[in-house]
Amino acid sequence: MAANSVLGIIFSNANDEVIPELTALRTMGSIPFAGRYRLIDFQLSNMVNAGISKVGVITKSNYRSLMDHIGSGKAWDLSRKREGMTILPPYNLPGTSMIKGKADALYNSISYIENSNKDHVLLTDCNVVCNMDYESLVKAHIAKDADVTIAYAKGIPPKMEANTELVIDENARITDTKIMDCYSSEVNYSLKIMVIRRTLLERLLHEAHSAQVDDFETIISKNVQHLRVYGYEETGFVRVLGSLQSYYDISLELLKLENRKKLFTPERPVYTKVRDEVPATYGIGANVKNSLIADGCRIEGEVENSILFRGVTVAKGAKIKNSIVMQGSFIGENSTLDCVIIDKEAVLKPNKMLCGASNYPVYIGKGIVI
Amino acid sequence: MAVKPECIAMLLAGGQGSRLGILTKNIAKPAVPYGGKYRIIDFPLSNCVNSGIYTVGVLTQYQPLELNDYIGNGQPWDLDRANGGVHILSPYQQIKGTEWYKGTANAIYQNINFIERYDPEYVLILSGDHIYKMDYSKMLDYHKEKNADCTIAMLEVPWDEASRFGLMLVNDDGSISEFEEKPKNPRSNKASMGVYIFNWQKLRKYLIEDEAKEGSGNDFGHDVIPAMHSAGERMFAYQFDGYWKDVGTINSLWDANLDLLNPKVDLDLNDDSWKIYSRSPAAPPHYIGENAKVENSMITEGCEIGGNIDFSVLFANVTVEEGAEVKYSIVMPGTVIKKGAVVQYSIVAENAVIEEGAVVGESPENMADVNDWGVAVIGNGIKIGKGAKVEPCAMIDSDIGGAE
Repeated sequence: MAANSVLGIIFSNANDEVIPELTALRTMGSIPFAGRYRLIDFQLSNMVNAGISKVGVITKSNYRSLMDHIGSGKAWDLSRKREGMTILPPYNLPGTSMIKGKADALYNSISYIENSNKDHVLLTDCNVVCNMDYESLVKAHIAKDADVTIAYAKGIPPKMEANTELVIDENARITDTKIMDCYSSEVNYSLKIMVIRRTLLERLLHEAHSAQVDDFETIISKNVQHLRVYGYEETGFVRVLGSLQSYYDISLELLKLENRKKLFTPERPVYTKVRDEVPATYGIGANVKNSLIADGCRIEGEVENSILFRGVTVAKGAKIKNSIVMQGSFIGENSTLDCVIIDKEAVLKPNKMLCGASNYPVYIGKGIVI
Repeated sequence: MAVKPECIAMLLAGGQGSRLGILTKNIAKPAVPYGGKYRIIDFPLSNCVNSGIYTVGVLTQYQPLELNDYIGNGQPWDLDRANGGVHILSPYQQIKGTEWYKGTANAIYQNINFIERYDPEYVLILSGDHIYKMDYSKMLDYHKEKNADCTIAMLEVPWDEASRFGLMLVNDDGSISEFEEKPKNPRSNKASMGVYIFNWQKLRKYLIEDEAKEGSGNDFGHDVIPAMHSAGERMFAYQFDGYWKDVGTINSLWDANLDLLNPKVDLDLNDDSWKIYSRSPAAPPHYIGENAKVENSMITEGCEIGGNIDFSVLFANVTVEEGAEVKYSIVMPGTVIKKGAVVQYSIVAENAVIEEGAVVGESPENMADVNDWGVAVIGNGIKIGKGAKVEPCAMIDSDIGGAE
């Protein structure tokens, strides 16, 4: 099995700054998504479904919620004696300061990488939501005898800073990369998921450390001419979260069956921490249309075009439209929500009204009582 | 050698549950799905761990494959442990020959060696047939406080139903003065729940004696407990009040599921301090479609609902297409109900397909004679053809073709 030769590394904090609202109290990896998941679930599940059995999760800050969620890795069958999951917290080597970029973070964990004895390392961020066949990615990497293989999608890139456009020749080889902020036309953009030869990674990290370079993508881009760097096109449902707005839009895209079918497949299930909630209960007068509802919800009001996470209560007469309500929140009687994102365990008392716009959703923070 | 626990539980899960008909054709009764995401056995197992009992022997015999697979290493119940944990105990070959479990007491007798490995002070005997939430640790405290040899959990049942149960006459101090097994004219409404705590050394002695006795049915209720009682051992009744239901028949299984939709029924599965754990499939939240209507129902992960659902319990990964109708029904995992089909007053087992326009079950109000009415049951993996009709009370165990 190809994946047996691969070490998985997940950056749980990468791109935290693009969704400051949701990462104020957590990592990018622990942002709740799609009613019952956290973003890191997709990466962990992709790796496990591909047969990767050794995974390091790099953390930098605010990682308590992440640790609470992934625990020992049991939900992904990664709680093992041999291999399994390891959390790699920041580790101040003598003479270094707080880790900055990805290269720095990887250098911090270099002994973990060296000791893995794997031939290749698969690196991913958490703000990319996909159900990608990593086994086929790794196979392509090995078949091309590549130094580096970068997964990309074709289309209009997400609206966020520093998208990397890849210039790819007919043999799938990446000949050049461009960093741009704004795109209006379709290009091949990097998903920041890559497989790299382990020994090469170690060499690049040592070089970057002596040269004080933090940004790992820059290092690869600089070396694109000297190395065998290939592209791997992903054509499934893949979305990059680049802002609160895109979090909102991408979440609601899952109300379409065709998108759900691509993201949640029986062949490659997405695993998450099990919370043993009861099934959702619908009371008399409940009226739910076009919505995703997680277990543990109690619904007596109206819900339309929305996503309710686990354990949300919707009291009688409450109306929720075009909104995302996270775990354990309470929407009181006759309250109305439209285009709102409510974080965990918030309470909206009776007879309140909150409205945003579909291109400017209102965000209510964790535990806030209104 | 294991660290010695004070009390271990032995869960009798070998029963066929023959009154559940085709629902238990390929699975043992404790593996029958209940309440949207549970199986019956989740209740005693969760009660054990919530009560602090972490060593559980599960005695299986009838169709154990699915049950064994479901329990696995016990991880969903936190029973994957270095000391104790869950153990599946099937009948095995011994030097003196091979025997099936002949009765409830014989099943424990055959596993005396298992219990001895832990050498507990007390043994809790449970069955895998009931839906209830109970703190066994309180019952154990009571057992110790009364300095009892045997404590039997009892529940007051309605007088008109009392004759269906094993009853006890109880003195003021809680001690049991007399037993009556399903009497015609009950003198008590205190029914045994089939939950017992024994001092292990006492029970061991009586199990060995009972085994040697010719003609014994090797049953707790019929043989061992009466023998202990007539020998003058200290027998006490422990009163339980709360929801308790034997789901031994189609109607009671149907009722017990719909009880979950009744806010007046005292069975809160949402209680964080007493969760019922289960092995759940990895499925996304359920989706309710644009033209669906869902009221008074329980729906769980992986369902795709396009039709109308009323007073029903849907298990994981059920699909109900647009224009289909499900009411007063229990639909088990993976079943598909197609456009325009009607499923009412029914139990549909796992992975069945109800084709377009088929009608399953009937409302009691539409019956010429209400005594002919009953819940319709569709078996595991059965296909009901386009426009076909399934009568109330029917048990469908083979595919039915289309109505054309």
